[in-house]
Amino acid sequence: MNEGGFFGEYGGRYVAEVLRGPLENLENEFRLAQTDEAFFSELENLRRNFIGRPTPLLPALNASSSIGGADIYIKLEGLANTGAHKINNAIGQALLAKRMGKTRVIAESGAGQHGVACAAACARLKIDCVVYMGEEDIRRQRPNVYWMKLYGAEVKSVSSGTRTLKDSVNAALRDWASSWENTHYLLGSALGPSPFPDMVRSFQSVIGRETKAQLGDVTPDALVACVGGGSNAIGFFEPYLEGVRPILLGAEAGGRGAGIGNNASRISGDGRISIVHGYKSRFLVDLDGQVLPTHSISAGLDYPGIGPQLAYLAESGRIRFVSVRDDEALEALKFFAIEEGLIFAMESAHAGAAAITLARSLGPGKTVVVNMSGRGDKDIFISAAALDGPAWKTFLREQSITEEDS
Amino acid sequence: MNSDVKASLITHMIAGYPDFEKSLEVARGLIAGGAYALEIQIPFSDPNADGPLIENACRVALSRGFKVADTWRLLEVIRAESSIPIFLMSYASTAISCGLANFLRRAVEFATTGIIIPNLVPGADEGLFRTAAELGCPAVPVLVPWISDQRLDEILSMPIDWIYVALRSGITGAYTQIEAPQRSFLAKIRTRQRRPRIMAGFGIQKTAQVANLLEFVEAAVVGSAIVKTISGARHPGEAVRKLVGELQNIKLPKTPG
Ligand SMILES: Cc1ncc(COP(=O)(O)O)c(C=O)c1O
Repeated sequence: MNEGGFFGEYGGRYVAEVLRGPLENLENEFRLAQTDEAFFSELENLRRNFIGRPTPLLPALNASSSIGGADIYIKLEGLANTGAHKINNAIGQALLAKRMGKTRVIAESGAGQHGVACAAACARLKIDCVVYMGEEDIRRQRPNVYWMKLYGAEVKSVSSGTRTLKDSVNAALRDWASSWENTHYLLGSALGPSPFPDMVRSFQSVIGRETKAQLGDVTPDALVACVGGGSNAIGFFEPYLEGVRPILLGAEAGGRGAGIGNNASRISGDGRISIVHGYKSRFLVDLDGQVLPTHSISAGLDYPGIGPQLAYLAESGRIRFVSVRDDEALEALKFFAIEEGLIFAMESAHAGAAAITLARSLGPGKTVVVNMSGRGDKDIFISAAALDGPAWKTFLREQSITEEDS
Repeated sequence: MNSDVKASLITHMIAGYPDFEKSLEVARGLIAGGAYALEIQIPFSDPNADGPLIENACRVALSRGFKVADTWRLLEVIRAESSIPIFLMSYASTAISCGLANFLRRAVEFATTGIIIPNLVPGADEGLFRTAAELGCPAVPVLVPWISDQRLDEILSMPIDWIYVALRSGITGAYTQIEAPQRSFLAKIRTRQRRPRIMAGFGIQKTAQVANLLEFVEAAVVGSAIVKTISGARHPGEAVRKLVGELQNIKLPKTPG
């Protein structure tokens, strides 16, 4: 499917000359590692003993009967160490970095989930780790910053541009342009210049392979995942990409609704073809090609671009996309907490909301599998404020006073 | 230092920084200061091949509502006053937004000498190198000194008049020593038959660097140093005029007033 890093017209390697060599080298090393038994047995070992794989596939019986539609299964990626699927890719690439003799890893981070995963993977594998994070995201996701530091990573605050995820990608690319000799750039989603989209899909495809095995005789009618850059979605869908079934549904951030700056819907909204961050895809850019601001209640979906393979599969019709608004994601968050005792990550709650709608429309006798890409512990400051505003504020105030006293 | 060297500076500026009128003053100042050519950058929201100074300048220009169309307006005014060579720098996103060929045609309208798009390199260029050459404003590839000979051949086989050598690993903005590896790379290109002209930059901010560099290349590119000067200046046009003069070690006549 992938010719020269392209998926149809999307993808490629649109980087300055300085990064061409390092990316070619990475591609070669990744290819070599893929046929290296020792590499895979170590990866397998880390998946089992460090990440905690396989993650469960839960038949969500309560949710299914409450909805009265299709049977819902939930892949519990959120039970992986560090709380999200991001660790699958982080461990894979960190191991590759080590194999390449790199002593330092840099990463971008928005929500902080990828940053936390990288920091943990690097602690485990004894590699220096630097995480770039926008000032605005540091403010929004402070708890994750503490975890990264506890793992021994250095968190570098990015004060340029909009001070969010896209700017931390720029900062990491800048670092890499002068540090590639000893440093690996551990990109966190299925995007960026080739070979990142292939590599990230490859490390995340463990989600889909496990799900398929766990489903056994059950043939799913639909798979649903949320799509930020697209790494959990493409990894979850991977074994099912060939052919026309099951339905593959991607949930993008619908934010506050339509309009510039209100959402991050690249496919289901107003994405335009452009080249940003080293790859060609659909981006939220204006008529001049300037990257537009985005919004989502979930920091992990709050990014103006989408992985090139997802853009391609959207165009081919293989993956369908819907927008899920902030309020709909919050409803789904409450629903799965009450029905199944699961707190979805805010990102994953977008997939949850899309799955509920789809299960209703498909009706009984069908099967819908949704990927809970992360668990929602990290979101407490956002979900509590949104669902229980005044009481949460009071708690925070009391807490800060207690802290000062002690 | 050889004071007989006819210094040749290509001066980098950002269209619309700090605002449209002032960027016009800057262009005038650079021309008056004796720049050989202007490299005019179209501001982009995510200029990740540039350093923080230039990124900030882009942000300032864009926050004041600068549009790609304003670049053409700026070029039109400059062209009415001067025939100085102009290199236009853009990122891929702004260059392809209305179609790459349309973009190049606009550039040619204002007698642009060359197009610099750092994230469209030969072989992954969306047809930039061919189309730009056909239209008469060849693209300028940005090279780094440690590329392989094979890659160098590939780049030099493109239809080009100029190449831009980025002297330092990494992005623009920090001070560059022009050391043995860079010198030998430049010497390697100079031994080629039918070689393109060379501009070199990244971190040039001292008169001595310029003089040293001009022993090896046709032009030294000064970027961040100019942006820095503009950002601290009450009268950016006059400030850059002086800077360009100093960098070329040329004594300028005092302007009246
Ligand atoms: C739990 C969770 N899900 C999904 C995403 C979105 O990323 P992707 O689309 O690459 O899976 C993130 C990103 O931070 C995340 O933390």
